[in-house]
Order: sequence, then structure tokens, then C-alpha cells
Amino acid sequence: MTLGDVWTVSTTGWVVIANALIVSAVLVAGGRFLARRRLSSGVPEGRQVFGEFAVDFFIKKARGMTAGHDRSRIVGTVTPFLGTFFFFILLCNLFVLVPIPIVNRPPTSFFSVTLALALSAVVGNLLLAARFKGPGGALKHLFWPNPMQWVSEFTDVLSMSLRLFGNIGGEYMTLVLVAAVVPVGIPLILHVLGLIPSFVQALVFTLLTASFLASAIHQEEHKKKAKRRWFGRKQAEPAAQS
Amino acid sequence: MNPIYMAMVAIVPIAAGAVTAAFAMRRISVTALDGMTRQPEIAPQLFTAMLIGMALVEALAIYTLVVTLVIAGKIIV
Repeated sequence: MTLGDVWTVSTTGWVVIANALIVSAVLVAGGRFLARRRLSSGVPEGRQVFGEFAVDFFIKKARGMTAGHDRSRIVGTVTPFLGTFFFFILLCNLFVLVPIPIVNRPPTSFFSVTLALALSAVVGNLLLAARFKGPGGALKHLFWPNPMQWVSEFTDVLSMSLRLFGNIGGEYMTLVLVAAVVPVGIPLILHVLGLIPSFVQALVFTLLTASFLASAIHQEEHKKKAKRRWFGRKQAEPAAQS
Repeated sequence: MNPIYMAMVAIVPIAAGAVTAAFAMRRISVTALDGMTRQPEIAPQLFTAMLIGMALVEALAIYTLVVTLVIAGKIIV
């Protein structure tokens, strides 16, 4: 087995869609399982604790990038956007651990999948900016503080897709080539070592999308002006709303 | 083309990329560890920042890996 065989997708195209659909099915089933019992807004218990722990990170991230009046609407839209990317990429990366031969290949080891993820992240950023700041606001983001920001969007697509593909696809190619030579023992070490980049790359993709989104839907804090009374001292300026 | 020449050309990008990324990551991890020693209570935040920095530098090495894989995939012995 040469490198050309592994590179040129030695399995045909239906594997991509089948594996990605399996990942999506597992995610949806997991979400329904976590939300099955009656959710309490008091003290959570059982599987609700796990669900809240999983979602809490993204809620905090979404809260950090908003300020001002429209907060709950923005947080309600941004949290599932970021959370979906993280859990989908994480589960796709962990598919390499499944011992069944064709299901083995993680969907993110195909460049088409990572390119689709990066494109949907960048286009999703622009669409969210258009939704929260109006279409003029999205165009202004593409051109205003940096007139070449639109070029930066293209390079973001390339860099995010290549980073994810290179890490996970490279790990899969190494596994296949090493397993063709030494079937027992060393692939186990490669599996274990490959767990770390799986988590890290999912996290990095999500955090980079979040930071680009934060600059695209840049919310300014509204400061209140001090009221001036004509017959007394000026009131002290209230602190800026956080 | 001659496969020996193609193999010799394919080595250059990945070697340069890996060495350069190693130097940059050394600097990142040394700075992060210094900060963690100075102030252990913010160690988790420093660890997160270090991970993101490392992933961004590693991405550059991976671009060179993709170039190498493209060239190496075209070698037919």
C-alpha cells in the first residue's frame, strides 16, 4: 500500500456521507437522551448536570461577545452555532477509535468535509453579522476597519480547513501506513496519541470561529451620559453597562 | 519525472516546516511555563492560551505537510 493509495481516497465517496450521517445521528440521539427527563430550573440532577456542563462553556463564550440590550437573542443563536461545531468535529475525530473497518475513517480526514465545515463557519459568521447588525453592518464589517478583511475571510477558510484536515487526515494516514507494516501494538500507541489532537483541534476550530464572530458582531457598550441639574451639583456618571 | 528527484524534492517542505514549528513552539511553551511558575492560580488560562498558540503554529507546519503529501502521492515507482 503506497501513500498514493491512501491519499486518493482508497474508499469511494459514499463513505464520507455515510460516516458523517452516523455522527449526526449519534449527536441527535445523545441530545434527546440528555433532555428526556423533566428539566428542572432549580437544582439539576442526573443527566441534566452533564448536559448543563456541556452547554455552559458555549453560553459563557456567547455572553462574553455580547453587550447591551439584545443579549438574550444573540446568546440564543450563537450558543448552538458554536456548540454544534465543537461536538460535531469532536465526535468525527473520535471515530478513528471504532474498530469496524469502513466506519473507521473519520469524516474529518476528508478534505471535502473540513472545507465544508470551514465554509459554513465563515459564511455563518457573515450571516449572523447580517442578522444582528443588518446587511449594511455585515458589508461594513467586510470593508471598514480593514479594507482587505474580505481577503482575510478567504484565508480563514483555507487555514481552518487545512489545519483540521492535516491533523486528523495525517493521523489516519499514519495509522493506515503503520498498520500495513506492524498490525499489532504500535497502532494502539498511535490511537492513544491521536486523542489529544482530536480534542485540541475541535476546541481550536470553535474558539477561532468564536473570535471571528465576536469581531463580526461587535457590540458596543452603551454609556449613559451624566444628567445635569440646573440648580444643583452634577450627578456622578454611572458606571458603563457591562 | 524521475521518482528519485521527486522524492528528494518532497523532503524539503516538511523538514523546513517541522524545524521552524519546533523552534516557535519551544518559545511558546517556555513562556507559558514561566508564567505558570510565577502565578500558579491562573495556570488553566495560561494552558488554554498556550494550546491555542500551539495549534496555530502547528497549522503552518501542516500546510507544508499537505504540500509534501501531494508531491509524494504523485510518485509512481
